[in-house]
Amino acid sequence: MAETDKSLQELDGLFAAARSEPRALPDHLSAAILADAAHVQPGGQPAAPARAARQPLWRQLAEALGGWPALGGLAAASAAGLWIGLAPPAFMPDPAALAGYEDSSTAFADGSYDMALMLSEDLQ
Amino acid sequence: MNAAAEEASDDALLVLYANGDSRAAAELTARLGPRVYGVAMRVMGIRAEAEDVTQEAMLRLWKMAPEWRPGEAQVSTWLYRVAMNLCIDRKRRARGGHVDLDAVPEPPDPGRSAVEHLQDGARQDALQAALMQLPERQRQAVVLRHLEELSNPEIAGIMDISTEAVESLTARGKRALAAALAGRREELGYSDG
Repeated sequence: MAETDKSLQELDGLFAAARSEPRALPDHLSAAILADAAHVQPGGQPAAPARAARQPLWRQLAEALGGWPALGGLAAASAAGLWIGLAPPAFMPDPAALAGYEDSSTAFADGSYDMALMLSEDLQ
Repeated sequence: MNAAAEEASDDALLVLYANGDSRAAAELTARLGPRVYGVAMRVMGIRAEAEDVTQEAMLRLWKMAPEWRPGEAQVSTWLYRVAMNLCIDRKRRARGGHVDLDAVPEPPDPGRSAVEHLQDGARQDALQAALMQLPERQRQAVVLRHLEELSNPEIAGIMDISTEAVESLTARGKRALAAALAGRREELGYSDG
């Protein structure tokens, strides 16, 4: 029993000596832990905002044209142009004529000849 | 690190870290890192393993920070628990592997003679060797109780067992250590007087 007590006392002395050891992290471990901390820290990742700032192509195109107000005006003008093209108002000139096609009534320069005159010329 | 951060609680520092304060991480690492590393070193017995456990436990702390609710638990208790579970996982994976006793650091103590220094080193090596002979849970309980000087209820929380179970584990562990070291008394310079 006395032997056991002595052993336990010596063990307590060993524990005390172990506790008194200075404790410090190895430098490389401390650096690795801090690197991990910086990497996973909320809001602390420098690469994340750059990724978040990337926008889809259609949005980039819209912004290049002047944003939503400009796109709205463009859409209204396109719709109006399409409507006028399909059903032009009466006071507007014929779009076919504007495109370079002529009416069939003006296609013949000698439309003033009549059949009798032509026949009389043949008889002469 | 400024004085205010040094005086802040672990809880407060963890919240600061979650809010983007990088200095809080440095202070928490300085406070908690050596404690986790010391325990992992005693429980694993291999320096490289202890370093891996410490880094992984701290990484889990950083990741958990945004969900931490101050006042509900102690950060150190949570961290010890994570570290002890990591140790168990690694021991299970490496079962059958060797124990590298040479990896246990000797305490630098320039105020002592070379003989005393060697003797202290030999005794600490013997303590570590005896610790490694204990069953895993006994070793954890003994290290947390007698080297970290944590209370039995805190150890119970870390190991997820009752306080009575902690008392039983530490008592049995201590007896086993004493028995293991008794056979090496002369070798370690203990007199019979």
